[in-house]
This record gives sequence, structure tokens and C-alpha cells, in this order.
Amino acid sequence: MRQRGKFMFVVSALVAVHLLVLFAGFVAPYDYATQDRDHAYVHPTRVHLMDCAGRFHLRPFVYVTSLQEGALSDYREDCSQPAPIRFFTRGDEYLLAGLIPSQLHLFGVASPARLYLLGTDEFGRDQFSRIVYGGEVSLFAGLLAALLALVIGVLAGSIAGASGGWVDETIMRVSELFMAVPWFYLLLALRAVLPLKMDPVSAFILVVGVIGVLNWGQPARLVRGVVLSGREQNFVQAARGFGAGRLYILKRHLLPMTFSLALTQMAVLVPRFILAEVLLSFLGLGIGEPFPSWGNMINEAQQYHVLVSYWWMILPALVPVPVFLGYHGLADALREKLQSQVRFRGDK
Amino acid sequence: MNPGGRTLTSGIAASRPDGASPSAAALLRLADFSIDYLGSDGEVVSALRNVELEIREGEVLGVLGESGSGKSSLSNAILRLLPPNGRITSGRIEYRGKDLLALSQSELRQVRGAGIALISQEPALALNPVLTIGRQIIDVLRAHRRVSKEQAMEQTRAMLREIGFPDPDRISRAYPHQLSGGQRQRAAIAQSLICEPSLLVADEPLSSLDTITQAEILELLQKLKGELNLSMMFITHNAGVLSSLAERVAVIENGQMRACGTLDELSSLDDAYVRGLIFPEKDLGRVLVQPQEPNWSVTEEPFLRLRNVSKHFIQRHIFSRRKFAVQALQAIDFEIREGSTIAVIGRSGSGKTTLARCIAGFETPDSGEVSFAAEVANQSRGVVQLIFQDAGSALNPRFTAADAIAEPLVIARQASPDQRSQRVRQFMEEVGLDPSWASRIVIEFSGGQRQRIAIARALAASPRLLILDESLSGLDLPIQAQILGLLMDLQSRHGLTYLHITHDLNFLSRFADEVIVMDDGRIVERNTPAVLFQSTHPATRSLIEASERLHAPGLEVAQ
Amino acid sequence: MIRYMLRRFGHALLLLVGVSLLLFILMEAAPGDFFSEARLSGEISPQTLHALRAQYGLDQPLPVRYLKWVSSAMHGDFGYSVAYNMPASTLLLPRARNTLLLTVPCLLISWLLAVPLGVLAASRRGGWIDRVYSGGTSALLGLHDLLLALLALLFALRTGAFPAGGMASLDVTGGLWVHWKDIGWHMVLPAAVLIVGSLAPILRHVRSTMLDVLDSPYMRAAEGHGINRFTLLFRHALPAAANPLISLFGLSTALLIGGSLLVEVVMSWPGLGPMVLEAILARDMFLVLGAVLLSTLFLIVGNLLADLLLYAFDPRIRTEA
Repeated sequence: MRQRGKFMFVVSALVAVHLLVLFAGFVAPYDYATQDRDHAYVHPTRVHLMDCAGRFHLRPFVYVTSLQEGALSDYREDCSQPAPIRFFTRGDEYLLAGLIPSQLHLFGVASPARLYLLGTDEFGRDQFSRIVYGGEVSLFAGLLAALLALVIGVLAGSIAGASGGWVDETIMRVSELFMAVPWFYLLLALRAVLPLKMDPVSAFILVVGVIGVLNWGQPARLVRGVVLSGREQNFVQAARGFGAGRLYILKRHLLPMTFSLALTQMAVLVPRFILAEVLLSFLGLGIGEPFPSWGNMINEAQQYHVLVSYWWMILPALVPVPVFLGYHGLADALREKLQSQVRFRGDK
Repeated sequence: MNPGGRTLTSGIAASRPDGASPSAAALLRLADFSIDYLGSDGEVVSALRNVELEIREGEVLGVLGESGSGKSSLSNAILRLLPPNGRITSGRIEYRGKDLLALSQSELRQVRGAGIALISQEPALALNPVLTIGRQIIDVLRAHRRVSKEQAMEQTRAMLREIGFPDPDRISRAYPHQLSGGQRQRAAIAQSLICEPSLLVADEPLSSLDTITQAEILELLQKLKGELNLSMMFITHNAGVLSSLAERVAVIENGQMRACGTLDELSSLDDAYVRGLIFPEKDLGRVLVQPQEPNWSVTEEPFLRLRNVSKHFIQRHIFSRRKFAVQALQAIDFEIREGSTIAVIGRSGSGKTTLARCIAGFETPDSGEVSFAAEVANQSRGVVQLIFQDAGSALNPRFTAADAIAEPLVIARQASPDQRSQRVRQFMEEVGLDPSWASRIVIEFSGGQRQRIAIARALAASPRLLILDESLSGLDLPIQAQILGLLMDLQSRHGLTYLHITHDLNFLSRFADEVIVMDDGRIVERNTPAVLFQSTHPATRSLIEASERLHAPGLEVAQ
Repeated sequence: MIRYMLRRFGHALLLLVGVSLLLFILMEAAPGDFFSEARLSGEISPQTLHALRAQYGLDQPLPVRYLKWVSSAMHGDFGYSVAYNMPASTLLLPRARNTLLLTVPCLLISWLLAVPLGVLAASRRGGWIDRVYSGGTSALLGLHDLLLALLALLFALRTGAFPAGGMASLDVTGGLWVHWKDIGWHMVLPAAVLIVGSLAPILRHVRSTMLDVLDSPYMRAAEGHGINRFTLLFRHALPAAANPLISLFGLSTALLIGGSLLVEVVMSWPGLGPMVLEAILARDMFLVLGAVLLSTLFLIVGNLLADLLLYAFDPRIRTEA
């Protein structure tokens, strides 16, 4: 029973995170490109419940911060200018679901106060907002790429398993070729032949395509294994004895067998592909400026002076960690469910 | 009196050298013994409840029960080898007076292998695949005795020779995958006996072997019992085997002891369940003297005819990939009449299964033809249905019983969904399943029940000929008898002709009109059971003799 | 034995040829040919370019080009780098050596760490060691190479205990031993990142393999014969686990070579990784091709070694009865 509770928790957490980034414009207080040169490399804004005079307020608030005279990055709070955090407030305009213009944000503060929950970067762009927008890119790139790889893999694997003979041999040999190259090198090799600079949308499609198309090998092999062993089963032969055609057998017997495998594979592949997108963008071969991806945000943190002085810039590298943990937990739970399903319960 | 005329207690007195009664001291005693298991869904299942058992020095106690009665838990529990989710909830196990449950790990280790040794069901699984036989036996020896390497090898070779291996050196250097099933079981027995334990616990040691090998191993155990004065706990569902080995028998039903005593005493008890276990053939009707006439009108023309059918296979060695041809069927010729029940017997590799598959259409013969009577041949598919050996793999585990049974109707696009569920209910009732279980998934049924589902499914295809390919082998004898009875019931109702492929002769004289004996891809004999039991053909004789040694039920011939 | 090795070797060779063909065809998708970027940059004289074109048959159809490339590769000539204006092999081989220098010790160390730890955790299933092990590997799975590399960099910059990048210091003078010590000192952080980053899947695999073996009926039977725990574990369980553990070797090789690219880039280790990246950005196709193929070669050789080990340790494969 405990397992079930843990499983539901992981699933709901993952769903919540994905919903959150899907509504990036709403959740993020600022636009991903809005620059604020007066507030470059600001440390995360401190949220207070108690003001400078020691009074307690129910509504959290922030103070206006400004750069001290002559200093490069010394920001001080101004006790005389408190700004309460408002919920469902108006802010930068964005497109809800990419279609409807809206100005409603989950939370924010009124100008000239700033709510930089996770600090800002070199151009004064709010890191929190950029992480949320970037999450939209990275998470869904991983998800879509995994879907793509799985679709190709299931197709190839079932055709190979169901056909046998030279069709099977060819598909397996080709998949072996794809799997013989270290995965990231293969990724880069394909990336190499495609144009380097692209607009964000094309870049996104490109990244998803590249990652998905090159990684069909493992799912295909696994699906083929299931289909092959399925074909040998006596109940498939019995069905043939009843006069069943190949399509019926595929639909009614073989494909359902691949479902649990496909699900588990998804849980295994998604984190790997999220990482692939992050790495590609980090190296400058994925989503580029100004649209944030966790990868290209981490790139900024690679510079030594940033790394040492501005600790919040490394947060984009930490954010994927709980996501990965969540997916791995999901994969484990699915694998256990898969194993326990196949045992016969009627005998002792 | 023993109904059916089968005498079961003939062999035992002869095997004791001095005929004296066993010593009064108990070697092993179980008192108030209970075991629970924790299921994966959190449920607690009680496997054994308050079991009382006693084995005396030099005695063989048989433990007779069906699958699921808890008898395997018994063997594992004695040496405290239960899986992690099993627990001993009460009772004592006294071995030579000491409570095994109270021993420390190191004391327990000394008892294991040297005091009490275990032989399990699947010999292939009990042997480590990457170690040589010799190594595995020596490791057991050196775990209990201080011997030098040379002495250990010497003793191992002696043991292997005793077990019946003429070339112990070759065997001790071999790996398990290089031996046959019977050889592996012998090797496992050698491993268990190398430290000369006082008590051997054998958990269904014969079930995974074919008839002839079963008889050989049984003979070996009898010999060892005599020579080493070995005490044994022999767990099985086959009472016939016990009759030549066990002094007393304990009957277990659903985790509880139902009766205990000599086989004579048990068979005269007024207990239908116990008698059903000892004489599973009792409800199968009378012994057939001559082929039965079907009670529906049949054509004169032979129902099924095979003419000069041959088939060979190309097989590959697993590792060397060298190909070689196996001639599975050679010039097979025979006919069968409609409504008859024909048994095809032969040892493994004789070609019986290939024959079944050729008739069923799963394989095409290389030469010759398989033909049916004219009016049958015009019928569409489904004339011949094959019931597989393992009902577990013959049914899609994710299907419900209703899905499985209705499948032939769905594929043939006959009958509306309503008609289908009605017919499913009908078939389920016919085969003795509760129709309210129709929406349960296949994996929730027991082995015997799954085979009934398979039969119901076959019936749904409206067959004329039903081929049962070793369909009963994996089941307990009492269940085998029940299913056979069911099949005989269905025969007249549905106008069926049966072809039973089997490697053992259980119940033969009760259900078979005629028997065909196969050996090496050829038919060597064909007769009624009565005549067959007098046969002098070597292939037939070896099968019959092995079955007699195993006291297979249904071998008698009416006087 | 010879037959088995020849078969595996032949298979590996075929694989290498197949991959090279696949990559070659892939490169076809790029606009222009291998030297179009050079024409634009103007660094190399048109005459040299023309000569190179002829040498590598760039105006010939694909099969001819491929064969020319293969034959020159067999002589150690991997093409010409237009970004650096020198033969590709001169650039690739030292880089390949550096990548090997980094990954091979990491491979050995991660194996030497994972196998004993995994065996220990599996043998004490459910105990505190096992729980720490399982929890630890689960947590480790979430930590990706990039994060680890950045943390390592941060550590290097803050404490100065290890260099923040590179393979060797410029101002080191002295004999061979001093140079090797210096390289070793530079290797610590990248190696640590590489090992920690790829350890988690390996650790899990070892534990689950051992658990599978320990749960087998033959292990229970051996326990039932009274064999002591030490013998059970090391003389019965471990040999039985050899087969799946050796397949682990192939897995770990793939993880390490794949992960090395990123680690080399972030920590400025002069291996094939940074080379392939620069080559992509400079559109230097021969270099890309060569680097990817070399990394593939390492992976294939690693798997071949695993095949050899399998033959040595699994009697079922050895006895071709």
C-alpha cells in the first residue's frame, strides 16, 4: 500500500510540474526577454514578513532595491519602500496557450519594486521567469522526443518481430549501427550537418527530431523481443488455429503486450532526452538566445567569474534534478508493476 | 478392499532386509506446525495449519496432497528455507530431539546437508549452471567434513558411481547443461547424499521427468533406501509411487493433515477425498474391454487418414550452430474412425507431438497426405482443435475467461455479443466452471481450471476431432482423472473424436479404445489396451514396465 | 575458442564499417561538401583546395568518395581539417589518446567500486548498508554530468586544490615522472565527475544482478546443503553472476565514453569531445567524421573485450558441445 501512495505522489508531482511550465506565461512574473540593466546580477529578492521596524505583516512583501553608488553589484534594500506581493496581478503581456493575449500573472509586485525570486543575469532578466519558460522547452522537448523515439521504435520493433526473415535481420542490423555509436557523439554528428543558427521554433523542432530519430534502437529491440516471444506463445498459435489473420493477432494479442513495456520505456527515455536537450542547448547547438532553455542558461554560469560570485546562476542546473528523480521513481514503480502482473496467481 | 483391483502395498515388505519394524525413536517430529505467507497484495495466506508428523528411523513417510495443499512449504520449512515472505507462525520441528527452530545459524548449517537433505522438483534449477557437477558435490562435502581435495574427489567419484553413472570422471567434469534431465536429477541426489544424511526430504522429485526416467529414479531411491537405511519424506501427488516406497502415508488437504497411516489403512477409510487421492481412477468408469461404439451415427469412411506422412526438422546446436536434421516422422500410415478415442504413446522424441501438429495443421508434412472424410473436409476451419500441454501458455494471461472462450466465435465473426456471452456461459457450465467467474482473468484460475477453459474454448470452435497433446501431464493425478471424466462426458454430447498424445500410461485402460505406440518417428504397434499389455515389442514393453513400477493408475485389464 | 574470437572480431569489424558508411551518408545531408567552409574563409589557397579536392575525390560520386576515404583511413589518413589547415589525423590522434587516458582509468575505477559495493549490498539485502546503497544510487541518478562538472569547477575555483581545467600546466619542468604527476593532478576532477556521473546505473545493475542470482533456486538449494555464506557468495553466486555482470562492462563503456564528451568540454580536458564541438562550429566535416568514428571504435573495442571476458567466465559459452 505504501508503494501505491508513493507512486501516486510521484505521478501527481510530475503532472503538476508539467502543468506549471505549460502555463509559463501565467506563472512567471516577468517575460523571459525583459531586460533590466539597472538590476544586473541581482541576488534573489528577499521576501519579508517582518519589516525593518519589526512589525509583522500577513502579506509577504519586498523592498525596492537599488545599486549602491560606485559599486558593481552591491544592492541594498530601501526600508522606506515596501511593496506587497500581489496575486493574480497584471504584468508583462504574453500569449496564453500561444494564442490569447493576456496580462494576468499568478503573482508579482508593482513597479519600481522587483520580485526577482531567483535573481537576475547579466542583462537583468529574471531568472525565475526564465527557468519557468526554459522548463517549458526542456521538459516538453524531452517528452516529445521520447514519444517520437517510441513511435519509431514500436513500429520498427513490431514489424521486425512480426515479419521475421530478412526484414527482421535488416532492421536489427541497422538498429545495431545506431546503437554502436556513443549516443552523444551520434547526436552531435547529426546536428553537425544541420544549419547552426535557427529561430527558436525551428530549433525546438530540430532538437526534438534529432534526439527522437536517433534513439529508436533500444525501444525497437525491446519491442521486437516482446513480439517475438509473443508469437511463440501457444495462445497465438491457437488463435491462428481458429483462423485468425495476422492483423487480428497483432491487434488483439501482440500489441497489448507491448503497452506496459512502452510505458516503462517512456519513463526511462524522457529524463535522458531532457538531458540531451539541455546539453545541446548548453553547447550552443540547441535552443538559442534569447529564448531560454535550461541548457543555454547554464552556459552563462560556465564563466568562472559568474560561477564564483553569483551562486544563483547555477540554479538552472539544479532544477532538472528533482524532475529526473521523479521520472526514475516512476520508471522503477512501472517496472515492478510489470513484473508482478505476469505471475500466475491461481496456483500456490 | 481396494476398488479397481489395484494392489498398492505389495512392494514394501520385500525391500526391508530383516523385515523388522522400524525403531520406535522418532527421527523427525513436527508438532502443531503452521506457516503463513504474505502475498504481494498484503493478504496473509495460511499455507499449513497445525500439522503433526512423525518419521521414524529407517522409515519412509509419504506426504500425499494436491497442488496448493501446502506440501512444498513443508519441505522448505523443515530446513528453514522459506522465501522472505513466508513465516513459521507456530509449532516445533524436532530432529533427533532438538528443536530446529531454536537453533542458531551455524548449528542449523550443520544439520543442513549432513543431517537432513533436500531434493527439489526441478533438478535443472537446483544445480548451479556455471559450476561443474563435481565441484558442486565437493563443496557440499567440504562444508561438513574435513577432507583433503583428493579424498573429496575420491568420495565424489564413489558417490556418482553408486548413483548409477558408469563414468564418474566425465560427469564430475561436466556442467549441468551438458546432462539430460534424468542425469541432472541423479546428480542432484548425489549432491544431497554425499554427506550421508539421516533424512532425505524429496519434494516431487519425479514430476519433471518422463515415465521411463521416473521409473529409473524411483528404483534408485528404493536401492538407496535399502543400502543406506535412509529415512525419507517423499512429497507427491501420485499415490502409486508411494506404494512401492513408503511405509506410512500422510494426507494433506488445504494445509491440514487429513489422515495418516499405511496405504492399506487409508484405502479402507470411509473418506472419499482420501480414496480419490489414492485411487484417482475410481470415478472414471469401468475398464474398457473393447472399443466403444459412438452413440451417434457415423460414416463407414475413415474419419482421419494419414498416408505415408514424413517430416524432418533442421535443428541447430545452441552454441556450435552446426545444423543437423532430425527425422521426426517416417512414413506414417494410419486411419481412425469417427467417435473413437485413440491414445498415442511413446517416449520423448518419438514424434508424437509432431504428428499432432501435422494433423492439426500447424506443420506441413514433407511428403504424404493427411486427409479427412469427405463430408468433414468440406467443413470450414476448426474441424481439428489442439489442446496444448501447458494451459498457462495456451491462454493469453491478460484475457478474461469469457474473452478466451469466445475467441473462436469472435474470429469467425459468428454470433452477436449477446449470443456469445450466452454460449460462453453454456460452455463454462459444461466443463464444470462456475459461469459467474467468466469475467475473471485467466491468471486467477488454477492449472486444472485453466485446462477446462482451454477445452471450453476448443468446444466453441465446433470441432469434430480434438487432439490433446500431453494436455494432462502437468496436472495432479486426481485432477487428471477429473478432466478425463469431463472429456468422456463431452464426447457423446458433441460428437467428438479424440486423439490423446501422452508419454505416460495413466488411466489408459479406462479411456482408450485403441493405443498407437510410436518410437523413433514410426508407428510400431496398434492395439486395444488389453492386447497391448501383453505385447512383446521392446518400445512398448519399456513403457509398460516403467508405468508398472510407478504403479500408474488405470493399467489394469478387466478379468 | 579461435572460432568464437574470429566471429566476434569479424562482427566488430562489420559494425565499424557499417557505422562509417552510415556517418558518411549522414554527412551527405550537409549543404556543400567537406570543403565549402574553407572556400568562404579564404585561409587556404585555391590551388591547395583544388589539390585536396582531387585527393579526396570530392567531385566524385558517393561510393567512390567513401572508398577513397576508407583506403586513406587504413593508412592513417583521416582527411584534411580546413579549420586548422592540417591533416585530420595529426589533430585527432593526440585527442583520442587523451580521451582514452581519461576514460580507461575511470572505467576500471567505477567497476572496482561498483562490483564490491553492489555485492555487499545485495548480500545484506534489507540491511542498513543496502538501504543506504539504494537510497544513494537513486539520489545519484538525478545528478547529471553537467551539474557535477559545474560543481567541480566551483570547487576548483574556490579552493584551488585542483586545477580548474586543462590537462597539464604550462610551467612544469622536470622529468617524465613530474609531468605524469602533473597530468594526474589535472585528471582528478574530470575523472571524479565522470565516475560519479556514470556510477549510479552501474551500481543499480550490479545490485539487481546479484539479487537475481541470490534468489535463484540453485542458490537456495546450495544453502539447503549447509554451505557457508562466504563460499555461497564468492564461489557460487559470483561466478553465476559473471555473465550479466560482464554485459555490464559494455554498458559502462558506453556510459563513460558518452559522458566523457561533456566532461571534457566543461573541464577543458583536451580530448575528442572539445574537438568534435569545435569542428561542428567550424563546419569541419572530416574532423567531425573522424572524431565520431574514433569514439565508436573505442566503444566497439570495449564490447569486444566484454565478449572475451564472457568466453572466459561463462562455461556455457565455452563448451560448444
